Amino acid sequence: MHGVLALVVASEEAEVTAKNPILPETKEIVWAVVAFVLVFSLLAWKAWPAIKKALRDREDKIRGDLERAEAVRSEAEASLEEYNQQLAEARGEAGRIIEEARVAADQVRKDLIARAEADAADVRTRAQEDIRLASDRAIADLQTRVSDLSIELAERIVQRNLDRDTQIALIESYINEVGGTRR
Amino acid sequence: MLLAKFTFPPTDELFRWKDMVFNDSPYAINKTSFLVMTSAVLIIALFVGGSRKMKLVPSGVQNLLEVTYEFVDHGITRDVIGPNAARFTPFLGSLFLYILFLNFWEIIPFIQFPPTARAAIPAYLAIQTYLIYWYLGFRHNGFKYLTGHLFPPGVPLPLYILVTPIELVQIVFVRPFSLAVRLLANMMAGHILLTALALLTAYTLTNAPIIFIGPFLLLVGVTAFELLVGFLQAYIFTLLTAVFIADSLHPEH
Repeated sequence: MHGVLALVVASEEAEVTAKNPILPETKEIVWAVVAFVLVFSLLAWKAWPAIKKALRDREDKIRGDLERAEAVRSEAEASLEEYNQQLAEARGEAGRIIEEARVAADQVRKDLIARAEADAADVRTRAQEDIRLASDRAIADLQTRVSDLSIELAERIVQRNLDRDTQIALIESYINEVGGTRR
Repeated sequence: MLLAKFTFPPTDELFRWKDMVFNDSPYAINKTSFLVMTSAVLIIALFVGGSRKMKLVPSGVQNLLEVTYEFVDHGITRDVIGPNAARFTPFLGSLFLYILFLNFWEIIPFIQFPPTARAAIPAYLAIQTYLIYWYLGFRHNGFKYLTGHLFPPGVPLPLYILVTPIELVQIVFVRPFSLAVRLLANMMAGHILLTALALLTAYTLTNAPIIFIGPFLLLVGVTAFELLVGFLQAYIFTLLTAVFIADSLHPEH
């Protein structure tokens, strides 16, 4: 009995070892197929499209951000250009205003000088006129005085018989008198 | 001799697992199938769950999902098939993740077995790739797909006696076979190597402590190396699938 059992066990072992471990076994193929089909179908259905979409979304986001940044940059550059232009215009305008002011001030100065010169000339003319008038008046006064004295002298000569000594004395006294009045 | 009593278990013990559920039926679940289904659940949880609320500024899991997508979409699909081939990214991405997760079980503590070291998985994946590139080839090019391959232009007439059978064997047999065997052999070899080093480390720790450090350092180094192999094999399988698809769409290149 033991011998038979031993024989059966031995034959079973022989059968197991007789199978080449390199040859594929049906039961393992079955589960390999089931597993791969599950992995492929579920990943192709759920995982791969989601991952692909996430990657594409990020790519789009980055591209969009870069494009927007580029647009903002060129806009800023345009603004800067505009400001620079406005600044240059303002500087030009300021220069022009200063130049105009300088010209106006120059003109005012020239006008003032001309008017001052004219006034001075006027004053001088008037002074000369005054001097001339005073001089004329003095001469006229003198003439009147001389004629009065001459008349007076003539009256005195006529009133006396005059000898020579008397005449000289008379003339001297007259001259003295005139000199006294002149002083 | 220090290792005189060291024995290595039979290969069967490293690769064949007892059924856990539905014993002896065509859909019985053993360790391999359990890990395959667990991987599927993990991938779906990570990718479907993680992509539910995608934000404009990524953080955490979303970074991982995006890096994976871009790695497949840019590094494989667009590079190999062309700029307008985005429709293949879901398939290639799923294929890459599937193989990657299965490969990584090789170095997960207490699991330490890559289901891709069982012929069933690489064989199934290679046949799947094979069917896809034949289908695409005929759909896009008609019968010219086959004649273009068997009678490449610019070859002197007598040489077709040599070229045509080689090309036939190449597209009918060599392509899927090499695709499957590359993945299978790499993962099998890695698993055997890690098992051997782990057993050797355990054996020397108790029986020959003098040389314990040798197998131990090798075990750590090879584990790190297998991480690289696991990634690389997933990448190569996906890349070659993309190459075959590209060849089916534009066989003249």
